[in-house]
Amino acid sequence: MEAYLVAVAVIALIYMLLAIGLNLQYGYTGLVNFGHVAFYAIGAYASALLSLKGWPLAPAFAVAMLLAGLAAYPIGLLSLRLSDDYLAVVTLGFSETVRLVIQQEEWLTRGVQGLPGIPRLFQFLGVGQYADIATLGVLIACNVVAIGLVTHLVRSPYGRLIQAVRDDETAVQALGKDPARVKVQVFMLGAGLAGLAGAFYAHVITYISPDQFLPLVTFYVWIAIIIGGPGRTSGAVIGSLILLVFLEGSRFARDFVPGVSEVQMASVRLALVGLALILFTIYRPQGIMGRQNL
Amino acid sequence: MPLLAAADISKSYGEFRVLDRVSFEVPERGVVGIVGTNGAGKSTLFAAVSGQLSADAGSVTFDGDDISNLPPMRRAQRGLGRTFQVPREFKHLSVRENLLAAAPRDYGETLRSVFIGWARVAKEEARLAETAERWISFLNLKAVMGQLAVNLSGGQKKLLELGRVLMLNPKCILLDEPFAGVNPVLIGEISDKIRELNASQGIAFVIIEHHLEALKALVQHLYVMDQGRVIADGDPVVVLDDPRVHEAYMGGVI
Repeated sequence: MEAYLVAVAVIALIYMLLAIGLNLQYGYTGLVNFGHVAFYAIGAYASALLSLKGWPLAPAFAVAMLLAGLAAYPIGLLSLRLSDDYLAVVTLGFSETVRLVIQQEEWLTRGVQGLPGIPRLFQFLGVGQYADIATLGVLIACNVVAIGLVTHLVRSPYGRLIQAVRDDETAVQALGKDPARVKVQVFMLGAGLAGLAGAFYAHVITYISPDQFLPLVTFYVWIAIIIGGPGRTSGAVIGSLILLVFLEGSRFARDFVPGVSEVQMASVRLALVGLALILFTIYRPQGIMGRQNL
Repeated sequence: MPLLAAADISKSYGEFRVLDRVSFEVPERGVVGIVGTNGAGKSTLFAAVSGQLSADAGSVTFDGDDISNLPPMRRAQRGLGRTFQVPREFKHLSVRENLLAAAPRDYGETLRSVFIGWARVAKEEARLAETAERWISFLNLKAVMGQLAVNLSGGQKKLLELGRVLMLNPKCILLDEPFAGVNPVLIGEISDKIRELNASQGIAFVIIEHHLEALKALVQHLYVMDQGRVIADGDPVVVLDDPRVHEAYMGGVI
């Protein structure tokens, strides 16, 4: 049971990194990124492939972040020309393209067969719980650093500028400032965090395949942000915890509901997530942590 | 040589000519008004002058340079500021933050400044906060300084936009309907502020406004637009008595 709780916490913390990144992009800068999973996938595959080639994990993680961030550069440039809904469609298309490329380029990624045998984090600590707890510790540390950095960023003059861009880009330009620069930068920062989350995922799960990087992952992160409160880093934290507790907790609900099969229960869970999303957008659009009027 | 000059600005959407060879001039420290019916092309003219819209033809010169091909950002940096007909406040920033977000900065808005050089950022911020708070007091916004801009009244938003432009240290400000939806007392107050800024800071103004009485008292030169053209200009009192202006602007009622 304890091992299970640690495993759930690890996944929740990975989602938290994803949510912190997306919240920086959407909540603070207004960038509607529906392709977050692409950068998660790039991070996961980059780190997995490098470590399978014998790289130590630390540099593999660094390269994963860097590659995911760089992959966001062209998408960031696109965001300059596209408004919200168009950007949403393009980023969604981008993430599916990335997934299909991973699926097709078998020489590199082994395609649909996926990559097995990815080295686990803290493998040298043995198979037992020590490795899991060490992983949990590193993930907590990474989240704390990410939260600290983002919190400092949004309170700085730079953060004020990105929020001004979110509220009114035309006004920002009319005041002699360039929204383009910060939009591209924020896209890359958020993607870097997604890349880091992806690297953790690969080395926690130890097997990755293209079907783990469906748009559903992006939408889970969106749900976490909407529930928690866009434009609040605390919202990203709370939202991802609630989402994961619900997704995992509801696995056990089947034991108490007779006559429902595993498959049916999975669908019911998804329906409930959808319902929660609808209720939040109607009754509390600013999310749990959000202030009024956002 | 005028501070700001627009020459023969034209803009069409398909067959529809929104601006038809419109020209106007603003002298150094001048205050100029533009009136005209809804749809006469006044706001479109502002957009062409400040760069949000690219004109089909014509040129804009400002402070001795041709700025026709500069993006809005560069025009603002040269000291040509503007406000909008529908205020574009940064809704989820406070009044104070709105002004601080408008301030030109050397360092504090670079991504680098998030990670290093915090002391430099703090120093810059302290200097700009002083300027911002001075303008906030000047515009009588002190009481709402910490409030989110979205919660301000219509008139306060107009003042907020003016305050933001003032942070640019502008030479000329284009005001798009500063009195629209503003109560009569506040209209007098805003007029006084414009006069004071003009007299003490030497800032030139171009003002689009339907409130003719207030405008007449404020401007030295008035342009009247109708269907994308300037149909009359000159001394405000004389121009507003012109029968052609009555015909076009007020449908000959007065």
